[in-house]
Amino acid sequence: MIKAHHISYRHKEFHILDGIDISVGYGEFLAIVGPNGAGKSSLLSVLANEVKQGKQNIVFKDKPITNWEVRELSQHKAKFSQHNSNDITLDVKDVVMMGRYPYFDAQPRKEDLEAMNNMMYETDVFHLKDREYNTLSGGEKQRVHLSRVMAQLQNDIAHKLLFLDEPLNNLDVKHQYKALEIIKKFTQKANSAIVVLHDLNLAAQFADKILLMKSGKVAAHGTPQEVFTADTISKAYNFPCTICDHPITNNPMIIFG
Amino acid sequence: MRTQSKLYFYLTISAVLLVIIAVWSLNTGVYDFGGRSAFEVLGKVIAGDTGLSLSDKYVICDVRASRIVMAILIGSMLAVSGTSLQGLFKNPLATGEAIGLTSGATLLAAIAIVLGGHFKQYLPEMVQFSLVGISAFLGALLAMMLVYRISTSGGKTNVVMMLLSGVAITSIGFSITGFLIYISKDDQLRDLTFWNMGSLAAATWTKNIILTVVLVISYIILVPQGKALNAMMLGEKDAEHLGINVERLKKQIVIITSLMVGTCVAFSGTIGFVGLIVPYILRLLFKSNYTFILPLSTICGSILLLIADTFSRSIVAPSELPIGILTSLIGGPIFIAILLKFKKSL
Repeated sequence: MIKAHHISYRHKEFHILDGIDISVGYGEFLAIVGPNGAGKSSLLSVLANEVKQGKQNIVFKDKPITNWEVRELSQHKAKFSQHNSNDITLDVKDVVMMGRYPYFDAQPRKEDLEAMNNMMYETDVFHLKDREYNTLSGGEKQRVHLSRVMAQLQNDIAHKLLFLDEPLNNLDVKHQYKALEIIKKFTQKANSAIVVLHDLNLAAQFADKILLMKSGKVAAHGTPQEVFTADTISKAYNFPCTICDHPITNNPMIIFG
Repeated sequence: MRTQSKLYFYLTISAVLLVIIAVWSLNTGVYDFGGRSAFEVLGKVIAGDTGLSLSDKYVICDVRASRIVMAILIGSMLAVSGTSLQGLFKNPLATGEAIGLTSGATLLAAIAIVLGGHFKQYLPEMVQFSLVGISAFLGALLAMMLVYRISTSGGKTNVVMMLLSGVAITSIGFSITGFLIYISKDDQLRDLTFWNMGSLAAATWTKNIILTVVLVISYIILVPQGKALNAMMLGEKDAEHLGINVERLKKQIVIITSLMVGTCVAFSGTIGFVGLIVPYILRLLFKSNYTFILPLSTICGSILLLIADTFSRSIVAPSELPIGILTSLIGGPIFIAILLKFKKSL
């Protein structure tokens, strides 16, 4: 799906990303984890073709990502950003409808309205559709953007790719699970998702693969069982931890302290 | 689909309103058609009645009608340029006047008027003819690029920087224009004063044709960008993820708004704040949804300027109030109202 070779990114003299190789297959849910300042968001940004500086070697669906036409690319991949604008004086439904912009010219078609409504239901913001975006709480705004990003990828194209940068910020427990279930459902249809997460236990429960980063480098990459070992995690985070089996799901469960 | 028919509904209503105001404006004025109404005379002009006195015909066609058409064209372009600039800078305070675009255009137009005589003969004939217009466009473009460079980095606009660089450009323009007034001869002085106050009195059909050409070209490119301007509210990176070619969009807005503002300044001088008032009113009704406010500004700008112009030439009849005074009188308080609303976020 997406392959990147030797990604480097520096800001002034400081290496934010240092020679990272990454490859994500069809239907894979990859969680990027790591301590603050490890370069998680930067990596996501570079992969999503947001960083124009320098030549990055990224191949999306067997074609260099820079060779894709902008509008066509937007039907294959979408990105949920960490810092969403606070000042959008539009109704919630208009914000979600933005996700359908790649599909129509002046007038939304029936399938655009359907996609908008469906995603608003799934992310539990349908009852807010006529509210002004600016009046929502932080968590509600996050859900609106999740709804927009998911609506963007409602189409018949096979193998789509979703980038999410800390989608769980400000969400309550129920909506954290709901959001992850939506993403999981998406990847189960042979689509892929690359998600920056902070909660290691949620990552262990939902992700197929984990990429652990530290200081702009890959510290570990593999299945949750492979990456989440007490030794690796306490080294990466500089904090002691214990790992046991989750009593229900049998995934690794990380207990800090 | 419902939203689209809602847009057409409002477009129709405002178009009807514009026609009514145009009719009222045509019949308003000092000139007396010997007891007949202006419509009667217009009917006769259209019918090709030879019994019509030349002065009647002149007043209807070349004074009132051409002036009304010019108000419609210029009002529309000023409003659309204001709305697009606000979309580009993601802020309702961005207008040609606030960010120094108008001053840039006025400054270079003034230079062309006063110093043009010295180098005019070295230029090709086409350029000679439209020297003032081209200079105004270049002035607007230079000011625009300067403000954009100063105030925007990494796709984020610093509103304070935007407004302050506008202030700086305006004051540079002001001082150089003042110097030009000081050194200019009598007839040039008259031209310069006209620029600074703004007036539609010099309307002719030739000018209207040029304005129409500029308007059509600009609108074909700009008016369908409502969606793109909405997406820009998410930030430039996220707009690009929605399939918007952000770099191209920004270049289009910079060049086209400079072209529109430059042309308007070249033909009617500085008529301030139309690009602020119209989107402000439309935002009260449609929030910031550019798929509504961009197409609607095309007609609402005309409505505003036509009303203002009709007042300006009838309120102190037989004399005439410079129209820039009227629009700034409405625009100033609205500017403050927007400032107050943004007090916290600035």
